[in-house]
Amino acid sequence: MTGDDHDLDGDRHPPIQLTIWSVIALAVVVIAGLFTVRLEHQPETTRDYPPRPQIADGEAILLPAPEVADDYLPCNDCHDEVTREQGPVPRELEFEHEDTKLEHGNLWCRHCHDAVDPNNLRLADASLVPFEDSWKLCTQCHGKKLPEWRAGVHGKVTGNWRGDREYVTCVFCHEPHTPPFVPIEGEPRPRRPEEIVLRTSLPGEQ
Amino acid sequence: MGIFRRNKQATGQAKGSQKGSSRRDFLKTAATVGAGTAVGAPAIASALEFDFETFMQKNFRELSDEELKGVIERLERKYSEKYGKDVSVSAIGPMDGVLYGYGLDISRCIGCRKCVYACVDENNQSRDPEIHWIRVLEFERSEALRTINLEEGNPYYEHEKVPAEGKFYVPIACQHCEDSPCSTVCPTGATWQEPDGIVVIDYDWCIGCRYCMAACPYGARHFNWGEPNLPAEEVNPDMHILGNKPRARGVVEKCSFCIQRVRKGRLPACHEACPVGARKFGNLLDPNSEIRYLLEHKRTFVLKAELETNPKFFYFWGTEGRS
Repeated sequence: MTGDDHDLDGDRHPPIQLTIWSVIALAVVVIAGLFTVRLEHQPETTRDYPPRPQIADGEAILLPAPEVADDYLPCNDCHDEVTREQGPVPRELEFEHEDTKLEHGNLWCRHCHDAVDPNNLRLADASLVPFEDSWKLCTQCHGKKLPEWRAGVHGKVTGNWRGDREYVTCVFCHEPHTPPFVPIEGEPRPRRPEEIVLRTSLPGEQ
Repeated sequence: MGIFRRNKQATGQAKGSQKGSSRRDFLKTAATVGAGTAVGAPAIASALEFDFETFMQKNFRELSDEELKGVIERLERKYSEKYGKDVSVSAIGPMDGVLYGYGLDISRCIGCRKCVYACVDENNQSRDPEIHWIRVLEFERSEALRTINLEEGNPYYEHEKVPAEGKFYVPIACQHCEDSPCSTVCPTGATWQEPDGIVVIDYDWCIGCRYCMAACPYGARHFNWGEPNLPAEEVNPDMHILGNKPRARGVVEKCSFCIQRVRKGRLPACHEACPVGARKFGNLLDPNSEIRYLLEHKRTFVLKAELETNPKFFYFWGTEGRS
């Protein structure tokens, strides 16, 4: 402690040390200044965009049911009193419906199709709805899906997120007679790293 | 020149046998450039496809409205000439009171990759070398009850028909994080988050250092190692300067939520391409939006939540039994 006490006395510093300190102080100021300049050159966090007019919310458009081959329609071309008699009993399907597979729970034609008016569907309360409104029939059993579909969470929505939006009905995606999805063909896989070809040309060169 | 030379040598070494020839090519190019100096600056510019105006261009966020107009005019002229169609480049800004969010129903995704190619077409990705902004990972369904390790997902699956038995699929693109590590590490301020939540890239300010790719925990950023190849007839002429404008070699690119579409109110291309309706998009600030509905009613999660990047891309399980 004895020797150091002298160093604390300011009068004993030689002038050369004062110069060093002032140089260091100057350097600090210059470096700080440079940093300030550098910080000023950082881009703004975001661009100052001009305000823009709001897009109207638009409306939900329900796409009509997918098209059915003309030769099936209208149903009452074939379905008359005779077929009505056969109707209620489950049996092997024939003629135009030879290929129709019915694998939808324990349902039979008459659970959904009206016997008297085959051009319409029949709800549980015996009221008739056209094929375009088939979703009203589906949601009698699949009621939990209705609010999700209305909210746009179940099913496909196209068009705009703000503006007109197109909703599809159940039967667009689910074949009502065999509802589960069938696997489809996928698109090609991306290339593996080892399959990537190196090309060494400079820009403009081939 | 320095960058070109280094690239050249690096690729030459990778190929081994071509090392000598690539050096000769370099010397040839150097000679051409040397001759060009004598002829004049435009010769160098054309030899290197160097564009002085692009080189001097300010960061997108610092361009005045007047300067931005000039940049857009130059880009429209350049692309219309290059691709032989009427290209429009927009710099349309965010809407007030909008924060975009994306939802993906992994209980429905069938792994068909239709979104991947819809994205390539919409966003002018390079066809060869191939760049995909969306990667679809395949996982074992039996593994789903334990914590899924994303690195174990297989993006290269091939099946005759999808979905394959016992598998499930997780498509991954940019998660548009609220606290995005990619934009924090960018040394040039070339990537940032817009007021509507979209993380964008100023492709003219990207120097290709790929720090952002190292920082991104989702592998969502892709680098143009080679000269992008975009056939003129497949170019989408509806471009946004921060979105699907064609990229140059040596820059990083990624999903922008189809900024050129969503800022006009439209849905992203991948959303419209999904055949099973597994993709959901909307405004997180609108309580009536479908994205808010699924956040409130469904079991949602984000990828790598423990990293606290706060993604605005939500995965959810939509099906609950058959009813």
